[in-house]
Parts: sequence; C-alpha cells; structure tokens
Amino acid sequence: MRWTRYNLIRRLLNLGLVFALLLYASPKVMAQPPVQSYKVKDGKMFIVLDRRLDDAALDVFIAKYDLYDLPLKEIMKGKLIDSLLRMGWYIEKGDPELLVISKRLESSGKVNNAADKIIFSDKNRSIAERFPSVSKDVKYGYNRFRNKYSFAVKDSMVTFFLRNNQNAWKVMLAGSFNEWQPDVLAMTKTDSGWIARVKLGPGKYWYKFIIDGRWTTDRDNLLEENDGLGNMNSVYYKTNWLFTLKLGGKETKAYVSGSFNNWEPRELPMTWNNNQWVLPVYLLEGTHTYRFVADGNWFVDPSNPDRFPNEFNEYNSVIRIGSPFLFRLNGYENAKKVILSGSFNGWKEYELFMRKANGGWELPYTLGPGNYEYKFIVDGKSSADPTNPEFRGIKGHSGNSFFTIGANYTFRLKGYANAKSVFLAGDFNNWSPNTFAMKKDGNDWILKVHLFSGKHLYKFVVDGNWVIDPSNKDWEQNEHENGNSVLWYGKIPEPD
Amino acid sequence: MQELGMRYRARWIYTTFIMTAVFLCSSYKPLPVYEPEPILPEFILNIPSYKFIEPDFNDYSDPVITCDSASSTIQFSRAGNLILLRAKADTTEGYFILDTGAPYLILNMTYFRGYPGNPTAEGSEGGITGSVSSATPTRVKELTMGGFHYHGVEADRINLGHIEDSKGVKILGLFGMQLFKRFEMIIDYENNLIHLHLIQKKEARVYKSEMLRDATAYNTFPIQIKDNKLLLNAIIGGKTLSFVIDTGAESNIIDSRLPNKVFNNITINRRVVLAGNGQRKVEALYGDMSDFKIGDVSITKLPFLVTNLEEMCTAYNVSCLDGMLGFDFLSLHKIGFNFVTRKMYIWK
Repeated sequence: MRWTRYNLIRRLLNLGLVFALLLYASPKVMAQPPVQSYKVKDGKMFIVLDRRLDDAALDVFIAKYDLYDLPLKEIMKGKLIDSLLRMGWYIEKGDPELLVISKRLESSGKVNNAADKIIFSDKNRSIAERFPSVSKDVKYGYNRFRNKYSFAVKDSMVTFFLRNNQNAWKVMLAGSFNEWQPDVLAMTKTDSGWIARVKLGPGKYWYKFIIDGRWTTDRDNLLEENDGLGNMNSVYYKTNWLFTLKLGGKETKAYVSGSFNNWEPRELPMTWNNNQWVLPVYLLEGTHTYRFVADGNWFVDPSNPDRFPNEFNEYNSVIRIGSPFLFRLNGYENAKKVILSGSFNGWKEYELFMRKANGGWELPYTLGPGNYEYKFIVDGKSSADPTNPEFRGIKGHSGNSFFTIGANYTFRLKGYANAKSVFLAGDFNNWSPNTFAMKKDGNDWILKVHLFSGKHLYKFVVDGNWVIDPSNKDWEQNEHENGNSVLWYGKIPEPD
Repeated sequence: MQELGMRYRARWIYTTFIMTAVFLCSSYKPLPVYEPEPILPEFILNIPSYKFIEPDFNDYSDPVITCDSASSTIQFSRAGNLILLRAKADTTEGYFILDTGAPYLILNMTYFRGYPGNPTAEGSEGGITGSVSSATPTRVKELTMGGFHYHGVEADRINLGHIEDSKGVKILGLFGMQLFKRFEMIIDYENNLIHLHLIQKKEARVYKSEMLRDATAYNTFPIQIKDNKLLLNAIIGGKTLSFVIDTGAESNIIDSRLPNKVFNNITINRRVVLAGNGQRKVEALYGDMSDFKIGDVSITKLPFLVTNLEEMCTAYNVSCLDGMLGFDFLSLHKIGFNFVTRKMYIWK
C-alpha cells in the first residue's frame, strides 16, 4: 500500500518535471517554420512569405505554384517593387517580418459561352494525343534501366520484363500501345520474373505493370513521366539506331551530341560494353548530324564516312533514317560550289555541299514524309530549282522551290480558270502565301501535298487575294474574321 | 401566294406525321400541370411546377421526342473527360459532346453553315471569345441519338473549332440540357455507359430505373432546373452554395468572390495564368476543398478551379451561381438524374 502511494507521488513528480521541461523548451521545440502560404480571401489571392526564407525554399515555392513570372526573390530584398505593381499585385502592410502580396482574382470572361467553358475547364488531352509513339516533338530518346538489361528485342517484338514478384497472383501490362487497357496483356511467369511480348515500331511508349490489381511503374526503369494528371508512367523507347565508338579504352566518359538534342554535350552518355562505347537510341525519321564527346574532346565518328561540314570548319557525322531524296541541279558545270539549303536543315548555308555528277550537281538527302522548301546557292548566288518548274514565271513567288514526300492528298480549286497565279497555304506549310504554287488542270488548279491524319486549315491565294475553298462547305472563323477552310484528312481520329 | 400555300401544306403534312409518330410510340408532349412530390420545404419554394416554360426565355420551345424504345443504354466515347455521343442531325452524323452546362442544342457552325438562319452574321462572333448571344439560331428537323428521335430542335450555331483542335476529334455540336429534360439519365464513367429512359406521362411521378431498386445502394438529393440549367445546392464552410452540374466542364469551378468561410477550407496547390479578354492576364487557382457537403454526405477532398465568376450573374439573370460541378465531381461515383422529378442519385 505504502509502496503504491510512494510510487504514485514519484510518478506525479516525474510528470511535473517533464511538464516543466516541456514548458521551458517549448519556444525552441515548437518554433514555427518560416511562413509560406498561398490563400484566397476577400476575392483576392494572397502570397505570404517569411522574409527569412532562403533562396532554395523560395525556389521550391515558386516551382510549386508556377510563379516564374513574379520576381519574388528581388521583391523579398525590396527590389523591383514597381514591376510587381504593374502586374496588378499589391503589397500589404503589416508584420515587417513577412512579405504579403495580394492580387484581385479577375474574371476570365470564358465561362458563359459553352464552347469557351469547355476549353477553360479543360485539363487533359486525349490518350492518343498525350501518348503518340511517333511525333514531330520527340526527335530522340534512349532507355535507362537499373538492375536489369533493357527489354530484349527480336525483330519488332519487345519482351517487357518485370523482375521478381514471384508471389504475385496475376500481372498485367498496360500502356500507350494498348490504350492503357488493364485486362488485355497478361504477363507470363518465368523463373526470374514476368514477361510479355509486344510488337512495336520505333518510337516512344509509356507503360505500367498491374501486379494483382495494383498499378505500378517499372521500378527498374529510371525513365518516368507524369501524364499531367498526376500519374507517373514508365517510358520505353523502341530504338532504331545504335551508336558505337571504338577508342583506346582509356577514356573515362563518352557522350553522343547532335542536331537531335540541340548539341547538348553531356546528355546522352554511352556505356562501355564489349570493348567499345555503345548507345542504342530512338531517332525520328530523317537526317541527323552528330559528334562524339569523350573526356571533353569533340570528334566525328571515326567509323562513319558520312559527314557534313560544320560552322567550325570541321565535320559532323551523319545519320540517315528513311529513304533518300535526290536533289539535282542540272548544268552549272563551271560553278565552284553549289550548296543546298532548306526548311529541313534550318536554311543553313554551310552544310549541304552538292557533288558534281552527270553533267550537274547532286545530293541525296533523307527526309520523312512532309512538305519542304529549298533553294540552291551557286557560287554564293541563291536560285530556285530550275527542274522543279511549278512556279517559274509566277508573279509574287518567294523564289524557293518546294516538294512533297509521301503526297497523299490533292487540293483542287474550282472556279478561278482565269487566275494568273494560285498558291496553297495552310497549317501544313506554315501558311506560306507564295511558295506552294498550284498547277492548272483544265479549268481547275491542283496541288498534291502530304497531310498528317487529323484536322487541317487552309486557304488559296489567288492573284494575291486570300480565298476559302468554294467547293468545301466546311470552314471556320479565324482571327481576321475571313475564315479558313477545314479539312479532316485520313482516318478521322476516333475519340478514346 | 402559292408558295405560302405549299408551305402550309408541307407543315400540315409534317404535323400529321409527327402526331402519328407521337401516338405510335406513346411518347408525350410537355405535360400539363404537374406537382412535384414534396421534397424539402426550401425546394418547394424554389421549384416551379413541372411544366415550366419561362415565357421570357428566348423562343426555344422543347422538341417533340419519339423513340424506338423508352430505355436505352449507350456506350459513349470520350474526348479527354468529355462524354461524346454519336448522333445524327438530319443527314450529318458524328460526335456531339454531352454538355448539361449548355442550355440547348448547339451546333458547330463549320458543319451546319448551310442551314437556314443567318450564317454571315457569324463575323460578329469575334473568333473564340464570341458569346452565345451573337450565335446564329437554326433548326434541326430530326436529331437521332441512341434510339431517340427529336423532331424540330431549335439550335444555336457557334464555332467549336478550338475544341476540335484541343481534343483532336471532329465535334458536330453540344447536347444541352433541354434535350434531357424528359429523361432519367444514369452516367457510369467507369464503364463509359449512359442509361437513358424517356419518362412517359403516366409514369412521370413513379418511374425509377431497375438500377435504383436497392435504395440502400445510393443517396438521393434534390436538384433544380432553371433556365435549362441543372442546379444543385452544396454546403461549404457552413454556406449553402448553388452549383451548376455540368458534364461539359472537366474541372469543378468555384467563384473567388464567395465569403472567406468558404476558402478557409481550400488548399491551393497550383496557379494558372490565362489570357483574359484583350491583353490582360488573368489568374486562376487550383485547390482541394476539404469540406464539401451535399445533404448529409461529405466529400473530404474535391478539386476546384478558383476563378472570378462575376460574368455568370448577368448571363443567368436569375441570381449569381456560385460555381460548376464537372467531371471531377461527376466521376467520383456512379451518378444518376431524374430530370422530371428533379432528383440526383449518387451511388455509395
């Protein structure tokens, strides 16, 4: 009994001591972290920042709320206040330790109209748009795996591999190649994991494993991408090119750098394998130039004889994927040099030197399907291609020749039999008003071009006047309020 | 004179045809007076009688509906999170967006330019910032969707080109609220299915889908329809707010001018800068609302886009609406509406 009472007193004392300690320590223990908040109040938004915040913490805050247009770091130091005010922000007075800025949330004026509202409230694009395996925007890519090799590829069959998970009941593979359907591609158990074979063309693909109903990225794949909806997906490139470099083996690092990655020097590392440096990549169809960088030194690919001169009076190595197009200029046999320059190489005038051949000048150049403009520069003098005669004698022509690879659609303009010149302009040629000359065909004007599947806008330029297609009843309003003709080419994309 | 006579004769033939079709299919025209069953006292005050035709609400009279079968289940496609219904407007067939936020049928000017009306007036629409008021009205003789036939549908035409560009899908138009006023509609986003039932006159008070037989599986909430807008009351921070239920909005939207009590419950997580009218840049904020209630049901985390909705006050000319509930709300559970008895069902 006594023991119990003693024990109780001791416990109470202990408790009191702990409490006292807590009281003493609390200002230190419970010191607030520097304030940083983004709130809505009184119809305004408020940003509250503790002036003690360091640049790193500010960077995180700026990234989180996408505030790159606000000079917050300077404003914390009392600078650039005017520019903040000009953007409609107001500096609230009060606690000197805090920076408090506010701005009224204005109406966007986009909610009343049903069509504008759909766009205004839009967050996502369709699966097909968000996950295209081949797109003009993806020029290159390479795989990065750890703990396992990249997926085995035989012909165009890719074997997706999930390591371990031997206790799993069922594993499925879902990705952009099967419209993310969760129940179509079952994986098969092997003694080291799970596999599934998928036939893929070269390009970029997104995927996930579904292990017993649980969606998961590939933990052994270092390439992951957010789909914009907050989901992470693993990324796999079906490659179509192998870079190899044989050197002394004394180098510590080697990279590939080229036109496809804007000549970033240290972005694409090669790996040492079988006494050579290698890097398998995916490259978009067309012509690419590149060099190797090993231990800081740049050089051309010693094993690739295909080279273009570059702006440093040296050479870049060349890759051509796809079938070549032969550029040819007849005659000019006495010319010293003839250069090809076009929309496909950024109109560079030092890169594509034509070769003398068969009583003229020639150059094969690989390009993917599309519509292209070009010119020849003969001893410094620009000229259009005389063998590409569509535009000759046409008033107002830009002077550049054009051609189409993979022509799949013929535009036809009716009702302008007496016009002197007709050009075709649209999203497929950057609305160039004076390059795509149309040909007379009876009383009509025609032109064959390449169109990607989907929606296209176009107009005709008849003797300098823009007209919509009189035989196409589909047109939509444009910013000039004079309309553009609308054409859906190919298989109209089906919704998801 | 002769032409006028012809037109009358044509109309007579047309009317006879429609009447026969209506009779045969045992569909019905707008009901006479119908008293809604008592729901909650506050809604009785707000809900006009069933046959509510606002005399001042332009002249879009409801179309006559006939059907192959009163019930139909439609597999829908999607453009992003928007529901696409395949339908045929006279001879033009393709996808329409189900948009309960739109008042009635809206056609894409691009594909219905040849329709009677005044297509040249589109110039005043001013590109993508045009408003409904400058749209050009026309009329579709027959609109067919999933076994339902609408006869004589008044429609507006506007340019929907920027939606096509954004979604990469050819869009013929928007199916607005007016087309569903006589229906029970159950949306199952998970399986991309819509169940539609054209409610007949004699079952108007009592009709319920088989799917609603087990009353413990779902909660029922009152809704209102005003000016072809579908409205739902919700409570945030103790305030009762009025939201438009809008299948044509992907995000939920809330008015930034609401009392501070409402925004005490939101965690802002992203800012977006939008191009406003003219040169002005306008901000909007994405955030998660932590205290959102309809009736007794709480949703603990509901994403919202916070923006100034002062423009909605003038347009709806009733009272200001406080926001919109779009895909982010509608897709949480299977959801159903009876637009005749004005009820919303949310599966548990």
